[in-house]
Amino acid sequence: MEKIYIYKIFERFWHWSQALIIGFLGVTGFEIHGSFSLFGFENAVRWHSIAAWVFLILIVFAIFWHFTSGEWRQYIPTTKLLKEQFMYYIGGIFNNAPHPTNKTVYNKFNPLQRITYLGLKILVIPVIVTSGFLYLYFQYPKFGIEFQSLEPIALIHTFGAYILLAFVIAHVYLTTVTGVKSFSSIKAMITGWEEMEDEEIKIVVEEEMEVALQEIKGKLKAGDEKSDLLDDALGAVEEKLGVKRETFFRDAIAESSAGYFCIGKDGYYKEVNDAWLNLYKYNSKNEIIDQHYRLSRTEEDFKELEASVMKVLQGETINHGEVKRICKDGSEGYHTLTLSPVYIDDEISCFEGFIIDTTAKHLAEHEMLKKKIRLAERQKKNKEENN
Amino acid sequence: MKKLISIVLILCFTGWVMADDEGAEKDSSRSFPITNYIYKADRNTNPSADHSKFEILKQPFENAHQLTAACLSCHTERDKEIMITSHWNWEREDVLEGKGKVKLGKKNILNNFCIGVKGSEATCTRCHIGYGWKDKSFNFKDPLNIDCVICHDNSGTYKKGKGMAGYPDPSVNLNYVAQSVGQPGRDNCGVCHFWGGGGNNVKHGDLDVSMLDVKREVDVHMTTEGEDMSCVDCHVTEKHQMAGKVYALSSENKDRATCVQCHTNKPHTDEILNDHMIRIACQTCHIPVYAKENATKMWWDWSSAGRLDEDGHPMHENDAYGNHNYLSIKGNFVYDDDVVPEYYWFNGLANHQLISDKIDTVPLQMNTLYGSYRDKGEFQSSVEPSKIWPVKVHRGKQIYDTILKTLIQPKLWDKEKGKGAYWVDFDWDEASRVGMEYVGQPYSGAYGFIETEMYWPLNHQVSPASESLKCVDCHTRNNGRLASLTDFYLPGRDRNAFLDGFGIIVIVGAIVGVIIHSILRRYLRRKCFFQKETN
Repeated sequence: MEKIYIYKIFERFWHWSQALIIGFLGVTGFEIHGSFSLFGFENAVRWHSIAAWVFLILIVFAIFWHFTSGEWRQYIPTTKLLKEQFMYYIGGIFNNAPHPTNKTVYNKFNPLQRITYLGLKILVIPVIVTSGFLYLYFQYPKFGIEFQSLEPIALIHTFGAYILLAFVIAHVYLTTVTGVKSFSSIKAMITGWEEMEDEEIKIVVEEEMEVALQEIKGKLKAGDEKSDLLDDALGAVEEKLGVKRETFFRDAIAESSAGYFCIGKDGYYKEVNDAWLNLYKYNSKNEIIDQHYRLSRTEEDFKELEASVMKVLQGETINHGEVKRICKDGSEGYHTLTLSPVYIDDEISCFEGFIIDTTAKHLAEHEMLKKKIRLAERQKKNKEENN
Repeated sequence: MKKLISIVLILCFTGWVMADDEGAEKDSSRSFPITNYIYKADRNTNPSADHSKFEILKQPFENAHQLTAACLSCHTERDKEIMITSHWNWEREDVLEGKGKVKLGKKNILNNFCIGVKGSEATCTRCHIGYGWKDKSFNFKDPLNIDCVICHDNSGTYKKGKGMAGYPDPSVNLNYVAQSVGQPGRDNCGVCHFWGGGGNNVKHGDLDVSMLDVKREVDVHMTTEGEDMSCVDCHVTEKHQMAGKVYALSSENKDRATCVQCHTNKPHTDEILNDHMIRIACQTCHIPVYAKENATKMWWDWSSAGRLDEDGHPMHENDAYGNHNYLSIKGNFVYDDDVVPEYYWFNGLANHQLISDKIDTVPLQMNTLYGSYRDKGEFQSSVEPSKIWPVKVHRGKQIYDTILKTLIQPKLWDKEKGKGAYWVDFDWDEASRVGMEYVGQPYSGAYGFIETEMYWPLNHQVSPASESLKCVDCHTRNNGRLASLTDFYLPGRDRNAFLDGFGIIVIVGAIVGVIIHSILRRYLRRKCFFQKETN
């Protein structure tokens, strides 16, 4: 069980002050409606009007925040998994089925939430706010506008209040059912940190990595300093998630489909991941750790690679092209690799990198080449026969 | 971030603090704007001339006309001002809906108190500012018929004689009265306006003798504990034309004495209350009850009149509080005090049941007040939208012609028996015949008694602000002050049963859904765990 930082400070301030204001508007509003007596009608009216203005100010801030932070994208409705989410609430939830969707910084809301919150934002709240201000300022003739009756405005306003109240009930309830524990969602909304299952966290980390790598890709193309960029991106991930790179980076590496290796500056393997073992057809790490990397290279490849390693140990990061590898059973494979230095206390102690298998591509290209040669030969033969 | 929070919090708090300030100032006397008003402390009440020094007023007056002549010898032209006022003519030209221009006034209008003055002038004109109006022969053009001192006597000794057609009581010392004249005080106005209808506070309900020396709780303006305003401070008078009129007699929205002439149309610091003024008269909230000191007449049933005692003499019976509840000459009454007004939409226009008008509704409205919620904007029919007004409604039963379906003006008063006056002969048929002949209207010979209602919008005896109506007096679900005005949506009172039903279903549905969902979750999950374990 770990915690992930999901809700930013303004978001939390906005959410809770909004909750407070809407609650207060609800209480005073239903007193004005005549449902009960609490503050006294006069106070209820006065405070309801003041709270309405405070709410409007908050709405302006929230709209500004949504657009400047890009958070408005969270509310773009989607039908993907919508049905699954709905079925989860009315079925799967009773059988301890897993959540069909995961909460991440980039995708905070499940599809049902997206649609519901969007509906609130563009339908319910605007209707309540608009009818409320008509109620406040146009029940008597103003600026040449005069409604023949307050009734429709009041009824629309009341209707909105009922819908909002029903939403609040369902909303509060669902916060207690969707978290790891009953109050973890509410706690997350207060502190910003959401408790999550390890499984979920991995998904979150992967997603963060993906975003970070995409960013780095964009920057690499622009030709920026390469090694710093990786650090920056990982730093950004760390900051967003609030997790230590060491822990989750390693976990992510362990799960990665790309092969990972870390080699000491003396040339001996220090760490590889499962994908690497797979590609090199080893059964366990023990078979390779503390072996020299020349083990899996042909003589001429090793020389070329050694030259690259020297550069890396000087502090360069290298995007190496396709290389041939010799697997445990002696068979050959092909992959591309990256090489980057690892600093410990400002000194390069080892280098690491990812390998992405290209054997299939290599073989395919090889076959393609052979096919082309065959075709060329056949054409040549045909020409000769015709002649 | 913290700054943002504190800014929003400050905004909230200043809003509340400002709101609280408004509340605190509410009862202070100068917190609301007043224009064109001289506070008591700044008034100069010294008379401009000492009338006891004028030789002409020391002459022995043989009759009251000579006193008038003496007045007019200095105050020339004042007679012409007087003789175009309704105080003199007891009528003025008004436009009635469906009836066009009509001359209306006490001279010809019927009410459901003493019905009308015609045929009984000699006693009724005790309240006329003239001498000698005993019948139709009275000369309204003769300046010497004007009674100046009924309004201008400041000695408090002048009074008109009973049944003397407006002439002073023989006991009055005209020289003394003439030498102590001045601006009309509240007792000059009150002698008629408090006592109209034959007793204190009978008619208006908000004008009675207690106002000669009145507590602040009863009348915040005229209170002798405070501002001590006189009638003419509000009923501003120019050339003897007094602002203000009563809808018992008039029908047009003009020449009214209003609150806003001093208080402006934004008297409250609270904007919402000022907005209320667009559709609610000041009086509605600020006159929460009427007849605060003395009871007023609420019911007058003429049909039971004529019951005499064993010796055949007229008699009277009182209720537990000492108010008449039966008089042989007038019938049964019901008095009440601290009465909660009834509320009506009113746009300043009224109609009147004239003696020639057919009766088409029961109870018959003697004076219809026009107005409705819809009377605004494009549907507005007067100079401003209809407002909700507090009204004293006087109900009763009075005589009418059952065949011609018109009201009857019976002759009520005479000095002698045998002239048809009901109050001495107790014969409705004869009183009706003589009365209707006198006013030139037909009488079929068949009479009955019909229920009537008369509407008196309330204006006086304004309570201190602390006593005025509170929001919840109207904005309440049941039994609010405005429960009878159902032609509009009143927040706190009204709701749409369908919408509220829907709302309750939605909310209860949500709660029940949540409960069922959580029960199912607990129950089914446990079952699953159990199954897993057994597997």
